[in-house]
Amino acid sequence: MTEEFKPKIVGFLCNWCCYAGADMAGTSRMKYPSNIRIIRVMCSSRINTEMIIKAFQTGADAVFIGGCHFGDCHYVDGNYRTKKRIDVLKRLLSHMGIEQERLRLEWVSAAEGEKFSKTMAEFTDTITSLGPSPLREIKEEAI
Amino acid sequence: MEPELRDYVGELLDSGTVAGVLALKDELGAVKPYLFTKNNEIGDLVLTSKYPLASVMSMLQKEDPSIKLAIVCRGCDERALIELAKRNQINLDNIVFVGIPCDEEMADKCNCLQPYPKEIVTGEKLSNWVPKNNYEDFKNMSTEEKLIFWKGQLEKCNKCYGCRNACPLCFCSDCELENALWVKHGRLPPEFPIYHVIRAFHLAGKCVGCGECENACPVGIPLMTLNHLLREDIKDLFGYMTGQDIEDENPINTKEEY
Amino acid sequence: MKYDNILTTCPYCGCGCKYYIQVINGVAKGVMPCKEDPVSEGKLCIKGWNVVDFVYSEGRLTKPLIKENGKFREASWDEAYNLIVSKFKKIKEQHGPQAFGLLSSAKTTNEENYLMQKFARSIIVTNNVDHCARLCHASTVAGLAAAFGSGAMTNSIPEFEDADCFLITGSNTTEQHPLIGSRILRAKERGAKIILVDPRLIQLAKFADIHLRQKPGTDVAWLNGLMYVIIKDGLVDEEFVKNRTENYEKLKKEVMNYPPEKVEEITGVPKEDIISAAHIFGNAKTASIIYSMGITQHTTGVDNVKSCANLAMITGNMGKACTGVNPLRGQNNVQGACDLGALPNVFPGYQAVANGEFREKFEKAWKMDDKIPENVGLTVVEMTNEAHAGNIKCLYIMGENPMVSDPDINHVKESLESLDFLVVQDIFLTETAELADVVLPGTSFLEKDGTFTGTDRRVQRVRKAIEPLGESKPDWLIISELASRMGSSAFEYNSPKEIQDEIASLTPLYGGISYERLDDLGYLQWPCLDKDHKGTVFLHKGKFTRGLGCFFPITYKPPAELPDKEYPFTLTTGRILFHFHTGTMTRCVPKLDKEVPTGYVEIHPVDADRLGIKDGEIIKVSTRRGTINIPAYITRKVPEKIVFIPFHFKECAANILTNPALDPIAKIPELKVCACKVESIGE
Repeated sequence: MTEEFKPKIVGFLCNWCCYAGADMAGTSRMKYPSNIRIIRVMCSSRINTEMIIKAFQTGADAVFIGGCHFGDCHYVDGNYRTKKRIDVLKRLLSHMGIEQERLRLEWVSAAEGEKFSKTMAEFTDTITSLGPSPLREIKEEAI
Repeated sequence: MEPELRDYVGELLDSGTVAGVLALKDELGAVKPYLFTKNNEIGDLVLTSKYPLASVMSMLQKEDPSIKLAIVCRGCDERALIELAKRNQINLDNIVFVGIPCDEEMADKCNCLQPYPKEIVTGEKLSNWVPKNNYEDFKNMSTEEKLIFWKGQLEKCNKCYGCRNACPLCFCSDCELENALWVKHGRLPPEFPIYHVIRAFHLAGKCVGCGECENACPVGIPLMTLNHLLREDIKDLFGYMTGQDIEDENPINTKEEY
Repeated sequence: MKYDNILTTCPYCGCGCKYYIQVINGVAKGVMPCKEDPVSEGKLCIKGWNVVDFVYSEGRLTKPLIKENGKFREASWDEAYNLIVSKFKKIKEQHGPQAFGLLSSAKTTNEENYLMQKFARSIIVTNNVDHCARLCHASTVAGLAAAFGSGAMTNSIPEFEDADCFLITGSNTTEQHPLIGSRILRAKERGAKIILVDPRLIQLAKFADIHLRQKPGTDVAWLNGLMYVIIKDGLVDEEFVKNRTENYEKLKKEVMNYPPEKVEEITGVPKEDIISAAHIFGNAKTASIIYSMGITQHTTGVDNVKSCANLAMITGNMGKACTGVNPLRGQNNVQGACDLGALPNVFPGYQAVANGEFREKFEKAWKMDDKIPENVGLTVVEMTNEAHAGNIKCLYIMGENPMVSDPDINHVKESLESLDFLVVQDIFLTETAELADVVLPGTSFLEKDGTFTGTDRRVQRVRKAIEPLGESKPDWLIISELASRMGSSAFEYNSPKEIQDEIASLTPLYGGISYERLDDLGYLQWPCLDKDHKGTVFLHKGKFTRGLGCFFPITYKPPAELPDKEYPFTLTTGRILFHFHTGTMTRCVPKLDKEVPTGYVEIHPVDADRLGIKDGEIIKVSTRRGTINIPAYITRKVPEKIVFIPFHFKECAANILTNPALDPIAKIPELKVCACKVESIGE
């Protein structure tokens, strides 16, 4: 067990803002850790609880959700719903014994490439210090 | 309390106000939900048990949407009916509420937050009622302990879907618990913890605290612990309580900032 | 609008859960658990919750069918009855009554089982009547009757809650008897110890204090091994052995041949585990042995059962609450079907047909001119064999499906096809009914009155909730009408209540059971001797039914077929939570079908890897009897070199593979062990 822990992070990014922000970070050659696996979705509110839990259950150490700033949602109010949903889910996760820090929601606009890369670095650090998701172990023993 | 109640609902039937009264009937040494349609049966109406009458009412209305029925309901039944109405599952205009309060024993058993409906026709509401169990033991656990606790509990699950079946608020015809994308079919116990997280989350802002899920669980998973904590969270985050007023929307579904 | 809840008893496993059927305007809409029911306590398993769906399934038979030129056509009841009566009479004239075989059903009510054996013994005049208990617990009935004098579960379901120790073997309790499983889990939370003996890593394994994974078919060896340690380490209940039992010295002599080292060699269970399991069991204040088909379905089935009885007796775990030897019966009414004499050797209440007094009693009560034969009749598997040999010409099968449930199905098919006349009475056109000359549509449990007897001898009411579908008729009515047309005047009943009264008058075990009392009390556990008898919660209190409990020294014998070079794997079969037996009921319930739509073979990852088998791939499993193609499920649930197949699925029927070798006493086939070969067929 000397191998260094490299967290796996699943990122669900909204097509209109955060994904474009990530793109911006890329095209501007800003560096950020390669731990995130990005899944592009049309709106952050498209992400339901099931997807997030499934990501954890299939081996993710953390889940990142990126959406538009309030007022900027392409579908007017999707992100308001996302916010509430994620806040409730965070509490539920912590009741279940999964650190709520493993689930993170951020608003990143198409122009905020730097914010995206900084957030990723910071989030990766947080998860690295938290260690592997407790569900990983459970998954392994279930086979 | 029972004699007064029998008189009251007998009058509803005699006067033709309603075509039937949904309540509990004593028969064969057990208590069952029953639709009383004749005054001469009312002698068997009892209040000694608890069944998810709100779901029965919803089933009866689907059978005949025009029929007007009364329901002898406890606090949780009333809250469930209100939540169902918010989601267009039931038409309150065709329901006459006959409210009854729970006694201390019953309220204790359910650890109920509000053991009475808004209006009662007989008996007395428990005054200054505060539920005894605040789930402090659970809350004092560390994150790690919580995970171990739930893992031990949920390993017992034998996938009867009883928690969902007994829930008055679980009305979806297509249930995500049966979606193989999330929960593998035919595996026992269902993978930890997605099955139970889905159910708990789907009830956030919906659960009325009736406790039927936990009562229906053959292996004794303390489902109300999760439900109770989430109800606290919803109140804490949004200041929202379920089953109070049909005009209150579930905050998780609204588009307003909070 | 009319909305009511009808209290009835579940038609799946032997737990005997009572629940309500919600009925709106005469249509059953769903299930509502009954919170006052002592068994289920308002909780149900997935099968119970969805019970209504099979009743209304499209496959239900609603009209009699007659086969003409190899095809079925619908017929009137008159036509069907007339054809059956003329054929029955002709075959009886030509070949005599012993050319008939009748299969009763563990799915139907007590009253219907009573009538079926009455029909066999008084109308056909043969003892060739049996039912599927032969395939599940025949060894229990024989083994426990020999040891204790009564072949039934000794204690009761609610007692499990308070036991200090469980020895669970050959029973996947949480899947097969969910509401008993849940009690065991509750007892565990209270601090009870669980010793699990099962080759597979079943759900209970996670809760067991110790899990012994024996090689299939080595049960006598480890049971003797436990007793060796118990005797050696002074954990025998000397007082009990001295006062309540006989033959102990002989048992001791035999058991002393099974030191843990030797047991490890035979069973593959580490000797340390044998020792600690024996210590847990021997030191428990109350210990309960729970077993099921893993013990009984062997050529040594009776030996296994007797060994369980030995273990319970040397530790004094008999005749007290929370102890005993507890076979869990698989069918809702398999206990009742045995109790009511749907067996070739006994009348209702286990009154032996060999006894002239009993024969006379029944001949008189059934207004017979003929004499009931004193010879024991044929058992299920024997009937098939005799049909194959041309000695049985006609079978009348009610609510059974030997074309999926019996071992070596290819042989069963040939047997049924060689009959002169086959009548099947069922609610579905089963694989067996397909082969019939006449099919009679019976009704499901929702459409009739009666009683079921649960695994803990609990007699409970089945109440009619809806009218029979189409032209189908309750099975008791069909048998009565057929008997009357055969010329009998002893089958004139207005309702099942009258049949129960007749049963009570002829069957001491059921003497005090009546519909009035069942309505008042909810249930009665036999023996219930008269109208004032409250029933019996646990058996053998103070005295065994046979007087002294009898020890049987048992020598270990290996299974009939062991793996070899050609067939290197051991195949074991069983049930799963989501389906029931031959699947006729559960596979047409959408919610159950969705969970597990078809069969599979469980295989260990190491074996799969070696054979190049991928998860979900269709593979070939064969034995000396036949071959099936079946999807692989790669899992550590099974040990290496052992594969497991649930037997519910006709398209990949495990019983094409199984071995029909029989236990010499109980005639139960060895469904739990045979040698097989596993091959990949994909590219």
